Amino acid sequence: MTEFVQLVVIGLSTGSAFALVGISFALIFRTTNIVNFAQGAFAVLGGQFTVWLVDKEWPTAAAAIVAVLLVTAVGALVGLLAVGIRGLTTPLASLVITLGVAFVIQALQLLSFGDRPHTYPSISDRVWTVQGVVVQPQYVLIAAVTVVATLLLTLVLRRTIIGYALVATSDSVRAAELVGLSLRSVAVVTFAVSALLSAIAGLLLTPIQPVNYDSDVGIAINGFAAAAFGGLVSIRLAFVGGLVLGVAQQLVVGYGDAITPQARQYELAAALVIMLVLIGWRSRKETVT
Amino acid sequence: MRLAAASTRLVATLAAGAAAVWLAYRLDPNDIPIYMNMGLAALVAIGLSLLMGFAGQISLGQGAFYALGAYTAAILTVGLDPDERLINPEAGIAPWAAVLVAPLLTALVAALVGVPLLRLRGHYLAFATLALHLILIAALFAEDSFTGGQDPGLIIAKPLEVAGFTMGGVGDAARNLAAVIWGLVALALLVGVNLVRSRAGRALRAIATSEAAAAAAGINVAAYKLRLFVLAAGLAGLAGGLFAFRLGFLSPDAFPVIISIEFVVIVVVGGLGSVYGAVLGAIAIVWLQDRLQQLGTREQLLGFDLPVQAPGVFRIGVFALILIVVMLFLPRGVLPALGDGVRRLRRGG
Amino acid sequence: MTPLLEVEGLVVRYGPAIAVDGVSLQLDAGERVALIGPNGAGKSSLLNAICGLFKPAAGRVRVAGRDVTGHSPGEIVRLGVTQVPEGRQVFATLPVEANLLLGAFGREFRGELLAATLRYVRRRGEVQERLDRVYELLPKLHELRERPAGQTSGGEQQMVAIGRALMAEPRLLAVDELSLGLAPLVVQGLSEFLRRLNEEEGVALLLVEQNAALAFELCERAYVLEAGRCVLEGPSAELERNELVRTAYLGGGLEVA
Repeated sequence: MTEFVQLVVIGLSTGSAFALVGISFALIFRTTNIVNFAQGAFAVLGGQFTVWLVDKEWPTAAAAIVAVLLVTAVGALVGLLAVGIRGLTTPLASLVITLGVAFVIQALQLLSFGDRPHTYPSISDRVWTVQGVVVQPQYVLIAAVTVVATLLLTLVLRRTIIGYALVATSDSVRAAELVGLSLRSVAVVTFAVSALLSAIAGLLLTPIQPVNYDSDVGIAINGFAAAAFGGLVSIRLAFVGGLVLGVAQQLVVGYGDAITPQARQYELAAALVIMLVLIGWRSRKETVT
Repeated sequence: MRLAAASTRLVATLAAGAAAVWLAYRLDPNDIPIYMNMGLAALVAIGLSLLMGFAGQISLGQGAFYALGAYTAAILTVGLDPDERLINPEAGIAPWAAVLVAPLLTALVAALVGVPLLRLRGHYLAFATLALHLILIAALFAEDSFTGGQDPGLIIAKPLEVAGFTMGGVGDAARNLAAVIWGLVALALLVGVNLVRSRAGRALRAIATSEAAAAAAGINVAAYKLRLFVLAAGLAGLAGGLFAFRLGFLSPDAFPVIISIEFVVIVVVGGLGSVYGAVLGAIAIVWLQDRLQQLGTREQLLGFDLPVQAPGVFRIGVFALILIVVMLFLPRGVLPALGDGVRRLRRGG
Repeated sequence: MTPLLEVEGLVVRYGPAIAVDGVSLQLDAGERVALIGPNGAGKSSLLNAICGLFKPAAGRVRVAGRDVTGHSPGEIVRLGVTQVPEGRQVFATLPVEANLLLGAFGREFRGELLAATLRYVRRRGEVQERLDRVYELLPKLHELRERPAGQTSGGEQQMVAIGRALMAEPRLLAVDELSLGLAPLVVQGLSEFLRRLNEEEGVALLLVEQNAALAFELCERAYVLEAGRCVLEGPSAELERNELVRTAYLGGGLEVA
């Protein structure tokens, strides 16, 4: 029983990170109809920049803040690229552009940070044991930040004019344009906010899972799977999806260990299978093209 | 008039195919490996181009099917039971049969993955196929008793022989293999062109123009997309199987995720939906890859000391940049755009 | 006096198809003008081109003498022309009040969202005054202000769309298909409102409408569009008596709702 709870605890914390990335996917997709392949890269950059600054003797909190700001700026730039040229760039083309961006970021990381995994110390070395279950403070931090960030985002979308503008664009593109909103500008802001969220997810995850220049692909896939839970549009469901995915992965791998010692390698397979099942189930209800 | 154009194209393709096969015996031995790579990439790209051009779907897992094809052919050849391989050199089936099974297996996997995914928009397949590639690599590393893993890898001792001709990675065998590869490319071109011109092709073009309209007209959009996906996977599997015999030795390192991206770059450059473009794109990109590899392994470039990761940086970075630039400014493909430019010049501006 | 809106020889294309084939029209401040014609005549395309959604292939659009051909919708909103789109197009998941506020916010847009937000925040007082005024004009909206716009009736949504368009303090209100999908009584109420708005507030009206009887009743002048071309124009009273118009659009004398 303790093992089950332990796996759930770990799963909730990795799942929180997936949830944040998934929410970022959903935010961009419902506003711009673009699937941002570089979402994982934003997360990884959050980690890499933080490590880089911490290695320069910066206090962790300051490093994290600056890292997030840097990645937000990168996100805005990517948004500009991804939106492309009006009338010429289709959503699928935008996907491919973000794919290119993700790999350019990989190349730049390889150049700047090398090909070794990087990490920085987690928030506390202390380890809490609750009824035999090990809980690292980092787990709690990730989960807490995710919940707070999700609530803040929901608040912004429901209560502020800028949030209204983002939601309006996904409710009716035509009316948003007619009212005077610039879709390009909305896209850039959406990308920036998404980058911010993903960077936070990435940097919080790094003490538990060191990042490397090519970690973005795995994170992107997990984040996408979380967002797929909500049809790529629902923020609430992306949140739930992330948690479910995290827990399911840990359970599959944890119990799979009994069957084959290589179970950990198939973490990603768990995400893929879950995503396929979810999508298969959804597509029964909607044959959406 | 259309019939004349069709038969001209047929003759031209056959002639080009014959020339390509002939070239395999005339090239300098040092150029044969890259010649083979170009042909293999072309095989994969033809299938992917049809998928991306007509089904509007992106597969980021063609590298996975390539790897799957290679390992299927290799494992079937050396024998399924790892212990038996060491004892019995006759274990496994004939290489030529293994090479034929490879595309069938990849096609089957594609069918399984494709059925739930192809009914939905392109991004689902994109992520799922990428995940597939990653999972396959993980499995290749993990199940190393079965696959040989990274160390010692999988050594294929039996040569690929058909009707007395040996095909392999060196010497005359290499020329034979190159010839076969390019012969298959010509065949794939004909199949592709025929597909596009046929009744199925008309359905495909309707789908490419507007899926909603095509569906309303009674076309089973999902079925056509699935067929293209399976075809693309099969071609990649076939190429992979031949690749295994070119190398003679397999390890998961040979199939990094970036090769899936490179196939996409080839198709994007050559023009989505254009099978001839796919071949030309393959030639261009494989050549570029080779140059980048050479550049990257140098110690210095333009006076700067190159870090040890330079080959990786160049390869990933350059191709990713090409992807961005082409997709932004020439979304129909570099070659179609050049074609337009030439046509405009001929018309006099 | 310069007309408030001038359209000269406008041509709008969708790929190879021509939706608007050289239409000219004119509207003075305070006027109520209608565009009638059958489905697919190009009325909506014309309106959307005027409002900046499409770039015309040829022709000119001028608002109060300024050439706005091909300009963005935002710029045209700033010059005082707003649209009530076909099918209402409310922001369904947002509350009614948010819909209205966005009508004011859009006007602050000059290409960049954050700067627009700052401008909006600084002018929040004026925006609130404007909101109060719109609630005065359309009291039902005040009642519904917290309701998600998608959960209101068709007629109420039309009011939301009108209110949203009014938040930008327009000189000209372009309405695309006022009566579509609405009950006659509701349409009557809205029509009355628009008339009062025009007579009391001086807001000009350009009405695209399939229901010719309604158009003639509400507007003093009308243009008849068919297959992208303007085939007739003149005072509503005259057009109503026109034989061709009667047969084609007014049921040949029969009262068609």
